[in-house]
Parts: sequence; C-alpha cells; structure tokens
Amino acid sequence: MSLSSKSAQEISELLDEYGIKHGPVVDSTRSLYEKKLKEAMAKEKRAKPSPDKTYYREEEEQVTYVYKTPVRSDSSGDSGAYMRARPEWAEREYEHETSNSRYSRSRPEYKGRDFVDEPYMYDSPDTYKHSYLKSAAPMKSSESAPKAAKSSPLIPLWVQFVFFLAMAVFLYLVFTNMETNESLKGIE
Amino acid sequence: MSSTSQKHKDFVAEPMGEKTVMALAGIGEVLGKRLEEKGFDKAYVVLGQFLVLKKDEELFRDWLKDTCGANVKQQGDCYGCLKEWCDAFL
Repeated sequence: MSLSSKSAQEISELLDEYGIKHGPVVDSTRSLYEKKLKEAMAKEKRAKPSPDKTYYREEEEQVTYVYKTPVRSDSSGDSGAYMRARPEWAEREYEHETSNSRYSRSRPEYKGRDFVDEPYMYDSPDTYKHSYLKSAAPMKSSESAPKAAKSSPLIPLWVQFVFFLAMAVFLYLVFTNMETNESLKGIE
Repeated sequence: MSSTSQKHKDFVAEPMGEKTVMALAGIGEVLGKRLEEKGFDKAYVVLGQFLVLKKDEELFRDWLKDTCGANVKQQGDCYGCLKEWCDAFL
C-alpha cells in the first residue's frame, strides 16, 4: 500500500476517511498529504494495542470485585425475606462484573440500582434499609481496597508495610515511656 | 495579541507584485534560499501555495515546516502575514 502510487483522487478520498481537512491534491501539496496520511495510519496502528491493555486492567479490577462478593452475600443473609432477594442480587452483581463498562462507572450504577430495587421489595422496607446499610459498608471497604490497589504502582506495597511497622514501633516506644513516667509519680 | 514586525507591516501595506520570498514575515535569508531551491522563488508563489491549502493555518504551517524547516514562530509570522494580505487585497 504505497501512497505515492495512488492517484490524486484516491489520496483525497483517504484524507476524507481519516477526517483530515485538505485542499486539492496537486504536485505541490501531494507530499504534505502523503505525510499526513502516514501519520494518521501510524496513529491507528498504535491505537489498536491499547484497548487490550485497558481490557486487561478491567479484568484485574473485576477479579478484585469477584473476591468481595461472597463476603457481602454472607453478611446480608439475615432475614427470611432476604433469601428471595439474594439470588437476584448475586445475578445483578454478576452482570456488572461481566460487563465491560469502566469500574468507576459501575459503582454509581450499582447504587442507582439499589434504589430501583425498592419497588420490588416494598413488602419489607425494613429489610431493604438493613440490606442497603449493609451493602454500603462492604462497598466502602471494597472501594478502599481497589484504591489501595491503585496506589501500589506509585508506592510499593512493602514500603507501606515497613512504614506502618515503623510507626507502630515508634508509638509503642512512646507509650511505654509514658508508662514509666506514671510509675515514678506513683512511687512519690 | 502579538505585535507584528515592521516586515509584516510593510508586506501587508501594498500588493506584493514581484517581491521576493524573503519579503515575507518570518522568512529570512536561510529559509528564503531553501524555498527558492524548491521552486518558490517569489512571494506570490508562496501565496499560491497558501491559497491551494485553502488558507488553512495548520496545513500551511506543516507545509512550511516540511519545505524549508521553519520553526513555530516563523511559521506563525508567515501565516499571519499572508492571511492579513489576503484579507486586504484578495
């Protein structure tokens, strides 16, 4: 597919395909348009591999999401009326996991669907509120987990652990020093 | 608004006639020589190219950069000069 062998008409059509604004393809403008077409084609080729990467990231996020769901379903299995709703919830969660929408978007969407669930569970509004509160708590914890996972590229996880341990040791030392002061006062 | 040079003011003040390519704002001796080598020996030939590119700024800038290696400032000066001339006389 060499551009120089194409006719002026073909070059013009290709420029239109790529959405490149252009004038007539004459001798003095031809080399410029060929160069622009080459750049546009190269950009297209670069654009193709990146969706795979985003898909991979979505898969990662979906994996963490799957891990959290058993916790929620177990915690929400309290009332009898709930037993009916639980498979519905599990199905809906599963639909969200398999969908290729962005993770950040699926969160508010899910909360929106909780409100939609209300008419279906009108026979037991208390259990609904109970379930919503319960869902809010694990959802917040699961939100913090992906956020922590996101921060790992910036700061390595082991550094965070080391820092946390150092802080804990430091606080322990401070606390023990405070105790010895109190003991001195007790002696007096 | 960026201030225009004396060269710019001189060029847009009158019809370009047979002025050389170096009369254009942004085009000095070095760039002028390169344009002449490519066949653009008069200002009106560059004007012709400007019009064939439909007076589009991005296309003209790219063309100028490819043809004589003008930098961003030089491209802008030349484009502005020709555009204003066209607004006045074309």
